Amino acid sequence: MEDFLNQLKEDFNDVSYEFETILIKVNVENWISTHEILRDKFDLKFFSWLSAIDWDNEVSVGDKPKEVVNPSFEIMSCLSSVNSSNLVTISTFISKLNPSISTLVNVFVGANWHEREAYEMFGITFEGHPNLTKLYLPDGYEGNPMLKSFELISREVKPWPGDVDVEGMPEGFDEENS
Amino acid sequence: MNTIDPRNFQSISEASVSVEIETEDMTLNIGPQHPSTHGVLRLVAKVDGEKVYNVEPVLGYMHRGYEKLAEVRTYPQITTLVNRIDWVAGFSNEIPFIAGTERLMEIEAPERAKQIRLILTEMARICSHFVFNGAYALEVGALTPIFYAMEDRERVLDLIESVTGGRFHPNFNRIGGVKPAAGSGPTTKKNIQDLPVGFYRDTKLAMEKVIEAADKFQNLIGGNEVFHKRTKNVGVLSKETAEAYGVSGPILRASGVKSDLRTQTDYLPYEKFEFEIPIGQNGDCYDRWDVRTREMVESAKIVLQAIDDMPSGPLQAKVPKVIKVPAGRTYVRAENPKGEMGYYIVSEGGLGPYRLKVRTASFSNVSILPVMLEGALLPDLIAIMGSLDFVLGDVDR
Amino acid sequence: MTDVLIKVGFVALAALNGAVIFTIMDVKGASWMQRRPGPLHVGLRGFIFPLAEILKFVQKEDIIPTDVDRPVFKWAPAYVVVSAVSLFAVVPLSPTLVVVDLELGVFFALAISSLSTIGVLTAGWSSANKYSLMGGLRAAGQLIAYELPLILAVVGVVIQAETMSLVGIVEKQIEWGVPFAFSGQIVAFLIFMIAATAEMMRVPFDMPIGESELTMGFMTEYSGIRFLIFYISEYMSMFVLCAVASTLFLGGYHLPFIPTEWVNIYGPISLITKTLILGFILVAVRWSFPRFREDQLQNLAWKFLIPASLLNILITAVLKVVL
Repeated sequence: MEDFLNQLKEDFNDVSYEFETILIKVNVENWISTHEILRDKFDLKFFSWLSAIDWDNEVSVGDKPKEVVNPSFEIMSCLSSVNSSNLVTISTFISKLNPSISTLVNVFVGANWHEREAYEMFGITFEGHPNLTKLYLPDGYEGNPMLKSFELISREVKPWPGDVDVEGMPEGFDEENS
Repeated sequence: MNTIDPRNFQSISEASVSVEIETEDMTLNIGPQHPSTHGVLRLVAKVDGEKVYNVEPVLGYMHRGYEKLAEVRTYPQITTLVNRIDWVAGFSNEIPFIAGTERLMEIEAPERAKQIRLILTEMARICSHFVFNGAYALEVGALTPIFYAMEDRERVLDLIESVTGGRFHPNFNRIGGVKPAAGSGPTTKKNIQDLPVGFYRDTKLAMEKVIEAADKFQNLIGGNEVFHKRTKNVGVLSKETAEAYGVSGPILRASGVKSDLRTQTDYLPYEKFEFEIPIGQNGDCYDRWDVRTREMVESAKIVLQAIDDMPSGPLQAKVPKVIKVPAGRTYVRAENPKGEMGYYIVSEGGLGPYRLKVRTASFSNVSILPVMLEGALLPDLIAIMGSLDFVLGDVDR
Repeated sequence: MTDVLIKVGFVALAALNGAVIFTIMDVKGASWMQRRPGPLHVGLRGFIFPLAEILKFVQKEDIIPTDVDRPVFKWAPAYVVVSAVSLFAVVPLSPTLVVVDLELGVFFALAISSLSTIGVLTAGWSSANKYSLMGGLRAAGQLIAYELPLILAVVGVVIQAETMSLVGIVEKQIEWGVPFAFSGQIVAFLIFMIAATAEMMRVPFDMPIGESELTMGFMTEYSGIRFLIFYISEYMSMFVLCAVASTLFLGGYHLPFIPTEWVNIYGPISLITKTLILGFILVAVRWSFPRFREDQLQNLAWKFLIPASLLNILITAVLKVVL
């Protein structure tokens, strides 16, 4: 593991190892080349997943970020090796105004569906993707559900009671008789 | 454009007849209501007679938005959610999530709890492979094996139920350990019963039955000439394609890759036990079936070893009453019956995760369908689809 | 006139009863092989199960989808059932207990049995459903492919028996002392049984129905009583084809060591017993084999069964001349 980490540090500037997970932070321009290097040089040929994180200070449901963040999308992908336990996660930040990034499909074909999912859930455009259409959501669905600004309708109707998800006892309920 | 390439027609080209009739392609809508799509997968297939040209899977009929729901729930509540992802092996889904949370909180579950987790997750694997064995035989047209499979699976499910209280959705793991078992009698502060009375004896019997059943399937299904004809050299998947698509689990191993996260990672103490990793050579439907059936035996062996060597001790580590996970991010993956399942947890120090990415095996496994089905015959479509052994809850999440 | 009506009634009833018996056998065989308690223990040890089945289908609504070709769709089951029932007319229960002893009995049986193709094909075609259409076309391809080995296998028997009358064939077997299946026509018998299984569209040749692929094939859009007719006629044709096979190859109504004067009593029992034994083999095969693929089925018919049956004819003919 140490060797692998040191090797990675030779090629990439921002490599961190926290909670047994390697995270490589790269610039958007290096997104494709990073994956190519990892695939060819480090034998990380197994494409595990690709997704995004919506960093925003305005959160409609759930917890806010701990500190004030710069609103942006973090694109994450995960590569691993089938021959060893090596695994890296790669992250890059893109602007929220016109979110777009080049597609990984030409490097890993398996990115196809993952990118389609990120496209519909976050509204991120993957340039050069062969078939960038909705994967899960029905045609004509408006909005990107995984955005932090997207409201959960059920929570509007019935507010989240907090960390204890139980309803109060009905009035006149006798606990001893239950 | 619509002319048939005679080279693709094996049976016709053998008789060296060239077919040049202009025919119209038919769009066949397979699913979402179809006996062989394991739920609500929909395939839009372009077919010419029996031959499939192009397949476009349509997902989302069972999309339940777990990643969004996880953002509005606390960590202990999420285990209930993730149970429902792959309901055929509900228990296995909890493991990587709990392991990830523990890792972020820097808690180590006691050895005994880990071993109970290991036993139950292997039992869940056996259940999943039983269902596959029965369902796959059904898909290639043999009606009998599913009854045997269901009967034998019931024995294992009963064991899971006796410990956890649930057959499909146990919700048994707690951060820092497991909860006291369901069928273990009154629990007092001094005497915390974990496994029900007679569990070891019943498990031993059941696992011997599993090994017997796997042997039975090798004879009943694997020894069948027609089954060989239907599955050998059908749906061959190469190593390289499988890796690039992120195909994992028994499908990847059937293509000849000796990759098993049980030995590659340390989410559960598998290094204590001896077991083999079955791999296939050709990567066809038969190998995928064979690998799973052999895996059942290995899982049973692991369970037998595990109950012989149970560490004693508490079931729960010391955990704060209100679970707050410190800020950080981690990715934990586990070898589930269907393949690699992982959770990427991004915590900002709150009661719930800021973002939870669920990586499920079936999602990546199904994404290979369009490649594998191109040029297949319609009966092969069913055989290939069945051999991928996906669950729609695992695809759509 | 009354005479004809009685005969028609007899044939229809006999075929129907045969179908019911075979249904019971199939279901009980299945539950025995699959360790299912239902049809083995429930309701008079499972024997009134077919009654419940029939009642269930009769009381269901007979749905006719909007886009179907109505007359064709409605009449398609009739072809199938007629083909199965009328086949029984030439099967002798004893030398005298036969509805009609045609000179060309074998020819009639084979001609009538291929009538069901029309029913299946029209059912598939008129259903306005792609699965039905594929099922119908598969059925047509399969029935045509297996008609040939079926006929060619029988030709061997006809050469050996020197007659096409079914009664004549049985009498010839009595003369030989050994049924044809064990005196030279074993290959023909096996080919006949394989081809007959394909004709009945039973596992491992049930692609036209192909539950897991085509939902229910040509029957997909049928419900209620029309589905019941398809369902029953499957068992009817199973019963009748097994009866024909036991007549052609297993000595029909004949039993050795019993005075032939009593043939009117033991004849029917003997024939039905032989039929049931053959039927049981089919049941056992059905519940233990997966299904072939369409191209494998065609390969089996054209590349193996037809050459083998032609070879069988050749050898039989040569032996006939030499001996």
